[in-house]
Order: sequence, then C-alpha cells, then structure tokens
Amino acid sequence: MNKKYMIGGGIIVVFLGIMIYLFTQSNIGYENDLTKVINSQKMVRATGAWVKEKDWEYKNSQFIFYMKDEKGTEMKVIYNGAMPNNFEHATSVVVTGKYQQGVFHAKDILTKCPSKYQDAEAAKKS
Amino acid sequence: MAGSIVNSIALVFSIFAMILYYLSYRGYKNTINYARLAYHAMTMLVIVSSTLLLYFILTHQFQYDYVYNYSNQDLPVGYLIATFWAGQEGSFMLWLFMAAIIGVFLQNYSEKRDDLEPRVMAVYSLVTSFLLLMVSPLMKNPFALLWHHDTFIEVKNVAQMYQSLPFLGNYIYGEGQGPFYVKVSSDFVANLNLAGVELNQFIMKGKGLNPLLQNFWMQIHPPILFAGFSLAGVPFTFALAALMKNDYKDWIRQSFPWLLACGGVLGLGIMMGGYWAYGVLGWGGYWAWDPVENSSLVPWIVAVAAIHTMLVQKRSQKKGSGPGKFARTNLILSILTFVLVLYSTFLTRSGILGDASVHSFASPGYLVYYSLLAGVLIFLGTGVGMILWRWKYLTEQANINDEGLMSREQSLFTSAVILGASALIVLVGTSAPIFGRSVDISFYDQMHIPLGIIIGILNGLSLKLKWKNTRREDILKGIAIPAGITAVVVISAVLFAGVDKIMMILLLTGAVFSLVVNTEIMIKIMRGGKQMVGAYVAHIGLALFIVGVIGSAAFSKETQVDLVKGQVSEVLGQKVVFRGLEQFYDFGTKYYANIEMITQDDRMAKPVMYIAEFNQGLMREPDILNGWVSDFYITPLSFDDGSQQSGTGSVHDMVPGGTTEAEGTTIKYKDFIAPDMAAMSAGTAFRMGIIVDVTKDGKTVTKEVTFSGGGGGQPVYETVSVPEFGIKMQIAGLEPGSRKAKLSVAPEGGNLTPAKKQEVLTIQASIKPLVNFVWAGVIIMTLGFFLSTSRRLKESYAQRKAAAAQQD
Repeated sequence: MNKKYMIGGGIIVVFLGIMIYLFTQSNIGYENDLTKVINSQKMVRATGAWVKEKDWEYKNSQFIFYMKDEKGTEMKVIYNGAMPNNFEHATSVVVTGKYQQGVFHAKDILTKCPSKYQDAEAAKKS
Repeated sequence: MAGSIVNSIALVFSIFAMILYYLSYRGYKNTINYARLAYHAMTMLVIVSSTLLLYFILTHQFQYDYVYNYSNQDLPVGYLIATFWAGQEGSFMLWLFMAAIIGVFLQNYSEKRDDLEPRVMAVYSLVTSFLLLMVSPLMKNPFALLWHHDTFIEVKNVAQMYQSLPFLGNYIYGEGQGPFYVKVSSDFVANLNLAGVELNQFIMKGKGLNPLLQNFWMQIHPPILFAGFSLAGVPFTFALAALMKNDYKDWIRQSFPWLLACGGVLGLGIMMGGYWAYGVLGWGGYWAWDPVENSSLVPWIVAVAAIHTMLVQKRSQKKGSGPGKFARTNLILSILTFVLVLYSTFLTRSGILGDASVHSFASPGYLVYYSLLAGVLIFLGTGVGMILWRWKYLTEQANINDEGLMSREQSLFTSAVILGASALIVLVGTSAPIFGRSVDISFYDQMHIPLGIIIGILNGLSLKLKWKNTRREDILKGIAIPAGITAVVVISAVLFAGVDKIMMILLLTGAVFSLVVNTEIMIKIMRGGKQMVGAYVAHIGLALFIVGVIGSAAFSKETQVDLVKGQVSEVLGQKVVFRGLEQFYDFGTKYYANIEMITQDDRMAKPVMYIAEFNQGLMREPDILNGWVSDFYITPLSFDDGSQQSGTGSVHDMVPGGTTEAEGTTIKYKDFIAPDMAAMSAGTAFRMGIIVDVTKDGKTVTKEVTFSGGGGGQPVYETVSVPEFGIKMQIAGLEPGSRKAKLSVAPEGGNLTPAKKQEVLTIQASIKPLVNFVWAGVIIMTLGFFLSTSRRLKESYAQRKAAAAQQD
C-alpha cells in the first residue's frame, strides 16, 4: 500500500514539475513601455495606442500599422490578417508577438474600446 | 425605484430565511414555518423584480441606466429579452432568478427528507443573500437611474421636439463639428421635470445591444449557464449540511442527482457558448481557452471529478456503518465546485481580466471588487472551516480497507485525480492575469493532450474492472475484442485519413477504445434494465467529442485569399466564385457576400459584413457550409469596391486611322487585329486588339496591343511597354463592330487604369473536419448526465420511502 502512494505521489510531483516548466515557458507578460519591447527578444503582449496619423495599409493579407506608448515611442506592427473589428475606435491596442528586425510581428491583436465612462470623460475634456 | 426597493426587501427576506432556518436547525420548533415563508416571499419578490426589469426593457424606460445602455427601440422582442442579461447587473439578476427558483425545488426536496431542510436551506439562503447583495442599490443595481452618475448622451439621440428647451444649452458639451453631448445629471433631470418632460421621452434612443450578442445562441446560452451556476450551489449546500450534522451517510444519495444535473446543465451551457463563438465570432473555432470560458469550465471539471469519487463512497457505504470511502474528497470537491463558480464570477466581473480577455466586463469599482472577493473568501472559508472542524471525526471514520490497484474504486479515484489535474492546469492558466501575466494557448493544449489520452484509455479499461479487485486474465479477456476493434479503426485512420502525429494517434486510440467499450456495455444494458445507461451514454459523448476535437483542431486547414468578383478561385480544394455583395436590411444596412461553391452543388455561402451603429465598427459574420464530414468555414475580412484602383495614366478613345497625344507621344491607330470569329462564337480562347504607331521626337515604334478572352475566366489584358519613350499601354475597351478602341496609357512606373474596376473580397476560409462530432458528443454527453440524474433521483426517492417506512 505504501508503494502505491509512493508511485502516486511521484506521478503528481512529475506532473506539477511539467506544469510549472510549461507555465514558465508559455506565459507572456504585459509591457506598456515599447522601448523595452523593442529591446527584448521575448514574446510579449505590448500595449499602446494606434498612431492614426501615420499610414496604415492592408495588402498581401497583412495589416501594417504603427503604435506608440505613453512616452511617445513608436513601433511598426505587422499582423498576418485583416484589420480587427472595431479597430478604428480602439482607445488602446494590445498586440502579442515578438519584435524582430525592426518590426513587431503580431500574432494576435486585441482592441480595447471606450466604455461609457471614458465616453463621458472625453466629452468632459472638451 | 420600485425595482431597487423590491430587491432590497427580497434581501431582507433572504437574510430572515437564513437566520430562521438556522434557528430551526438549532432546535427551535416554531421557526420553520416562518423560514419557509421568508424564503418563498424572497422568491416571489425576485420574480417581481425580474419581471419589472424585463418590463422596463420591453417598454424602453431609458431613465434606467441599464435599459439605456444595453437596448433600444429597434431591437426585436427576442433580442430585447436577451438584453436582460447583456450586462453585469442583468446577468447577476438572471443568476439570482435561477437560483431563487431552483431553491423552491430544493426546499420541497429537502422538506421530504426528515431533518434535512433547515440545514440545507440555511446554507442555500446564504447563496441567495450573496446574489441579492450584489444586485442591491449599493452594488450592481439593474434599477439604477441614468443620472446616478453623470451620463453623456449624444444630441442626435434626443427627441427633436425637446432640443429647443431653454436650459438645454447649459448642459451641452462638445466642440467644433461635434458630436455634441447632453450631460444628464441630477439637476438636469430636475430641470427637465420642472419643464414637464419625462427623461424617457427626452431620450429618443438607447445605446443598443452589442451586435455580437444579437444572436439566437445568446438568447439561450446565458440562462442555461446561470442555471448551471445556480445548481452548483446545491452540492455545496448538501456538503455543508452533512458537515453540520456530522453525518455523511445520506448526503451522497441526496446530493447526487443535483450534482449530475449541475454537470449536465453547466456543461451544456459552456458548450453553447462555444457554439456561439464558432457561429458568430468568425475566428473559426469554438474554444479559445479564453479566461472567461475557462473560468466556467473549471467548476464543471471539478463537479465531474466529484461525481466519480461520490460513486465510490456510495458503493462503499453498502458495507460498514462509516461514512464510506473518500468522504473528505467528496466534501472538498462539492465545496470547491461552488467556490470555483464564485471565483469565476470574481475573475470575469472584477475587471482583473481587463487586458487578457475579449469579453470580460469593465472594471466595476472598488466596492463591487472587494464584495466579489469577499464572497469567494467567505464561501471558501466556511467550507474549509467546517471540514477542519470535522476533520478528526472524518479521519477516524475513513474507510481504511484498501482495494487493489485493478479495482473499479481505484480507477474511479484515478479519473478524479486526472480531472483534478486538468482543472488545476486551467485554473493556473486562467489566474495568471492576476499577476499581470497570461499564458499562451499552447500551455493548455500541451498539458491536455496527455490527459486526454489517459482519460480515454482509463475510461475504457476501468469499465472492465470489477469492484474490489479484478484478476488479470479477466481484464485481458474483457478488453481483447474492444482493443482489436480499436486497433483496426486507428490503423485505418492512420493509413487512409492521414492521421500522422503520434500524440493524435494516441489520443484517437484512447477515444476509440473508450467509445467501443462504452458502446458494448450500453448495448448489454439496453437489453436488460435501462436504468444504468446514463454513465455510458455520457462517456460515449465524451469519446465522440474527443474525436471531433482531434479532427477539427489538429486537422483543420486554413487560408486567406483575395476573391476577384466573377473569377473562379481555388480555395482549399474548393472552386469558388465571388458573385458580389448583396444589400439587405436587418435592423441596419448589411451586406451578404455571395460566394458560390462550384464543387459543392452550387451552394451559396453568404457571410455578412456591415458597419454596426452600436460602435461604428466593421462587423463580420462567418457563414458555415455544414457537411457531414467537415464544415467549410468562411469569414469575410475586407472588401475593396475598386474605386481606389484608379491609375496614374489616361484613357483615350480611338478610331481607326485617328491619332491621340499621350505622355508626350503621338499615338496613331494603324490597324485592327480581328479576332478569330469561329473561336469567339464557340467560346474558346481568342485574341483581338489594335496595331499602333507611337511617335516621339521623330522616332516611331509600331506595337500590337491586344487582349485575349474566351475559354472561360476573365479576359487577360496585355500590358505593352515602349521602353524607348518610357510609356506602357493597355486595351481598356474595344468594340469589334465599329472597331472603336479605348487605350490606356501611363508612364512606365505608373499604374494603368484597368479596363474594368475589380471588386475584391478578402476571406479567411477553413475546413473543419469532424466538427459535427464535437456537437454530437456534447449533446450525447448531456443526455447521459440527464439519464443519470433521473436514475439517481429515483434512487433518492426510494431511499426516502425506505426511511419513511422504517419510521412507521
């Protein structure tokens, strides 16, 4: 009977080990400082705003645009896919991917749209 | 106002019910009737307030914040009803409504089982009290008035006749071209009332319902999911009731049908969400391991684990007088099921997932945040505290006689451990955003493939095991035939269906093995008493589900293509033609993109695109051509109407013998190249065009400018360069009868104006093999849960009758 618990315990330890390993391998951190994004080779979730003044384009099934952080650092983003729903109205953009050779290659784009409260704030400012 | 008051009174009654039931449990004799009265009064009030909310939505009472923000007059009744649960406040209300009504059945059920009712209902009223607190005026009140905080309403949504109200100017915000907003604050409303105008007359239009939620599945998915959430509270209640009495014998039978119903309803609700995602969101899948989806999956997995270990406890109670095997495990799992439902609520509604999930709610404010957190901690603390309090007794009474490794008991426990591991993985991944991180989808996939393999094989094997212990030769004899059938199926899948990844082969082996064994046993049962069939049906459903997941996830093919209108393109082996956009009206102007599938009996795929008034965003709805073997899934991505395709060159009308000036050259129409009339009338390929002399600075070059047509497909216009003069030419139009031509001329580096503007639709297309197995699997699994529920209800009823007979 002791043997059974030993084996069971062993399996659980191995399982937890694998889980922790995979977790550290696959977890992605958020970064809102684009300077850090540009200098890092790791997969990150970069948050910032879309630079609407700069040209964006959609060609060859790629959507290319610029985003910037609060300090004004800009970077070019390439996404293999079309412009996401609601993109024009996003207050902030979250892109998941890696910065390589001068461009951020996004494999996923998430847009945050203004909530009703932010609507109100925008109106107040004017 | 009325709604807030009704909910507040209901909260008072719920707390009364809780206290009175508790007193009855402590031995007070005359409190039980009042407790029942209080609970039923609470339920009545909840029904009243829910009806009120629905009434306010249906009659467009825009003075309510919730009604203004989630609905408008344009919505049809079905979607208006769905706005009831479109926001945080309303979905709490829906949960409360479901929980209150389920509580009525629970009261009736427990009343008939001797001293059960006071304990069960005292704990259950704690659940309803928590939900009522969440919708109370202090928290997420669905009856909050629009001006409880300043709200800005666009002027265009104000009724025309009130736009000239004299004091309105003081409340207008915005600059330049607008948009302009009216600030609706409490003093504005006071002014409005002085002028004799009601706010809901003043506001002409609500914000409306998010178009993604304007879907049939969003009308039924949330009610079912919240019914599942409410049912999850019941096993928790029974576990606590057992701990209160320190008697663990009867609660298994009493709780079991509720737990099974919870598993069935919650599972169905979760996968309906998946079906909605597949049919509406347009990314081609049904499960994205999104934290919101995950957080309701975790309690379901734990509930299913509890079902397995509770079977063992029930079985082991047949011998001896103790609580039976795994009493502690079952108590912990039952408590965790509900605590994880609350934790899920906390994750999705506290704003913590803000950046990590597509569909979590926005941050609700500190009070709600800490109340949700407190809710999780209180229910967890109560459960854990009670177990620790009874720990000594539970440990002493633990059934120590141990079964062999090859016993039904052991394998049921192992399956609970595997399910626990799965729940832990999803829980860890889903909780990562709390620490500002998030995991990649691969984390879930990589961890679940091995677990899926074990589940399949273990399930098939365990059903061949007997209680207590099984001789090795019996096992071998039992599994020989199913293993053989499995081998044949898997080998043919490898050879003929191209299943080549080793992990997928193993996963398929497990699923098929489980499928064969369960089917075999089910057939045997169907010949005899049909009572026991539920578990096997559920496992068949699971096995089919896994087969569907293998097909639709590991063997899905996806591509992105540009379809030119009228031109045949080959997409994933299908010949398709984009026939153009077709406008239609469905509470706003929308467009079908008509895509004809030539090889699929000319079926027409009609994915939809439109600009939603709700958020001014481009919405894309996929269309799915369902097939028996696989789905062909098309999402429109973008549409180019060709208006941007103007070139930098110029187009010149030319007649034979005439000349024209272009790009600094003189071009003379020298001769006509006539097409082969026979080929033209036969519809085969032909070529036609004009011969021109291009002259610049005394130098002349002669060129043939032609295009070829016929033979199916679009005409091909040849681009002819004249490098000497730095120009290029192309036919932009030609009439064979009059021989008049249109010639497009542009500088070498420029763009020729095309003969015809092309409409281009970009689509994302994918093939989802065996996705029907996913849906069929879920339906069959749910059916299995309900068959088991009905069987265990009868069992519990029989137990009750036996107990009653004993007392007589």
